[in-house]
Amino acid sequence: MSKPKIAIFDFACCEGCQLQFVNLEEELLDLLSVADVVEWREAMSEQNDEYDIAIIEGSITRLEDEERLMLIRSRAKVLIALGACATIGGVNKLKNNFDDLDEVKKCVYGKDAKKPHLATQPTKSVGEVVDVDFCIHGCPIDRKEFTYIVRCLVMGKTPEIPDYPICVECKANGNPCLWDYEQVCLGPIIRAGCGARCPSNGFRCFGCRGYVDNPNVEAAKDVIDKYDLNLDDLKTKMILFGSRQEPTIYG
Amino acid sequence: MSVKKLTKDDFAKFVEALIAKENVIGVQAKGDRFDYAPLEAAADLRLDYDVTLQPPKKFFLPPRETLMTFEIGGAYTSEHDDETFVLLGVHPYDMIAINQMDELFQQDNYDTHYMKRRNNATIIACDVMTPSANVFASSMKTAVVKSGYDVLLTDIGDDYVAEAGTEKGEALLAGVAEADAAALESRQAVWAKNEKSLNKHELECDAHYLPKLLDRAYDHAVWEEIAKTCFSCGSCNQVCPTCYCFNVQDDVNWDLKTGQRDRAWDGCLLDGFTKVAGDHEFRNQRADRFRHRLYRKAKYVPAKIGGQIACVGCGRCVGACLPDIANPISVYNRLIDDLGIG
Repeated sequence: MSKPKIAIFDFACCEGCQLQFVNLEEELLDLLSVADVVEWREAMSEQNDEYDIAIIEGSITRLEDEERLMLIRSRAKVLIALGACATIGGVNKLKNNFDDLDEVKKCVYGKDAKKPHLATQPTKSVGEVVDVDFCIHGCPIDRKEFTYIVRCLVMGKTPEIPDYPICVECKANGNPCLWDYEQVCLGPIIRAGCGARCPSNGFRCFGCRGYVDNPNVEAAKDVIDKYDLNLDDLKTKMILFGSRQEPTIYG
Repeated sequence: MSVKKLTKDDFAKFVEALIAKENVIGVQAKGDRFDYAPLEAAADLRLDYDVTLQPPKKFFLPPRETLMTFEIGGAYTSEHDDETFVLLGVHPYDMIAINQMDELFQQDNYDTHYMKRRNNATIIACDVMTPSANVFASSMKTAVVKSGYDVLLTDIGDDYVAEAGTEKGEALLAGVAEADAAALESRQAVWAKNEKSLNKHELECDAHYLPKLLDRAYDHAVWEEIAKTCFSCGSCNQVCPTCYCFNVQDDVNWDLKTGQRDRAWDGCLLDGFTKVAGDHEFRNQRADRFRHRLYRKAKYVPAKIGGQIACVGCGRCVGACLPDIANPISVYNRLIDDLGIG
């Protein structure tokens, strides 16, 4: 069996998820024993248009990026969205909360806002532009989950990616609920798989892995009432990673 | 089996001596709550606790464990935990949950992974001193325990009464003086009190009637009504001392030849719990899953263990459920009100 060829591409993002690949350190050699990496701008100079698996990091914010992504999709047998920017649009979608993108550009770039390379459009996740075969969630991704998914793909197995909320992992870790400690934690509606890393260290879930497939936001509203909070307390938490996505609360 | 008595000072020495020779896991403070943790000093032990965050089931059925390692097309090796340990401070309702799990894990396929840990454990139970905010053990007849433990402690003020439940417990208490009649009387008073007062939520019927009640409740409106605000987060399953469902998953090593089979806690409230081949899911509605848990506790599991109700009234699910819908008593009482008894 010849080794599958992997190419890694980045779009609008901090490249922190790719950095998690580099942070695999010695395990990176194990990964290279089952797959050939043929393109990876952050770690090598070679480029290649022939690959089996394309890994896409970052969100899509320009027309030329959409075109580039569609070309990548046409070349890849399997396409993976890597990290919150790619899987859900993530923090890059905060921009979409503003109607006038010229104003947004002016705010960010000042007098340079009109330069052509700063042309922009509303942020899209990778899945809003092309078909995505698998999502590796998180900001940043979890290295163990990434390596597990790679091994599954190389073996021709479908990886098991959780569709249950963070609470499952949080309770398994023996944590008390952070709602009891005045934190508006998004755990009950956010997809598990990170091992409830933030709540286990005393921080509410920020929602970087995106919503579970069927989140019960009506229940979340009830809980807001129970704790005598304002709906805005929930909304402001949801828009960090969930701007302009279902079922983030607006209005 | 003998019933002994020791002063609290002597008990502290007893615990220190135990720590010196065994791996002791005892109930301790965790922030402003309590949980089981490795015990380093008798002074850290908090037998006055109300309820632990997690039930003790994790010491027999860990949240995640490796069942075996394998080579594809080759041999496999079962993995077992071999270390002995002492579990110190198990409340009666949790002891009864362990007794039920012991029965279940020996039925059908004898579960060597669970049973190995169980047989390696010494359990020192203790009667409840401080009722938790949501305990309803009195309603479930689990406020006092009569079997399963190696030693049962009862705080009677200046002293503990310590009763051996097994030969192992008898050996632990060797050299401790017999309890006098006054001490036994004090213990009886603690039991009589707990049998009534661990009851923050009161079941409006005898617990043993519940399976019959559920025979008539399958299509009741309550399931749909309450499940509307269910997150399907499985918190009620995760903190339950009698929920034991698990999922099994394989992973391979980088050689793509060898690997391991793990099992991890699952929960019947979770979307996907009943997903099978072809993506069919036979309890894909929140209400179906909400109902299933309450049927499991008071009908399905009881049918497997001689009628014992598989909710032991620890109240953890009540506290763990953010939308406040997990309380079994609220639902069972609603059904009693609507359907009557018998």
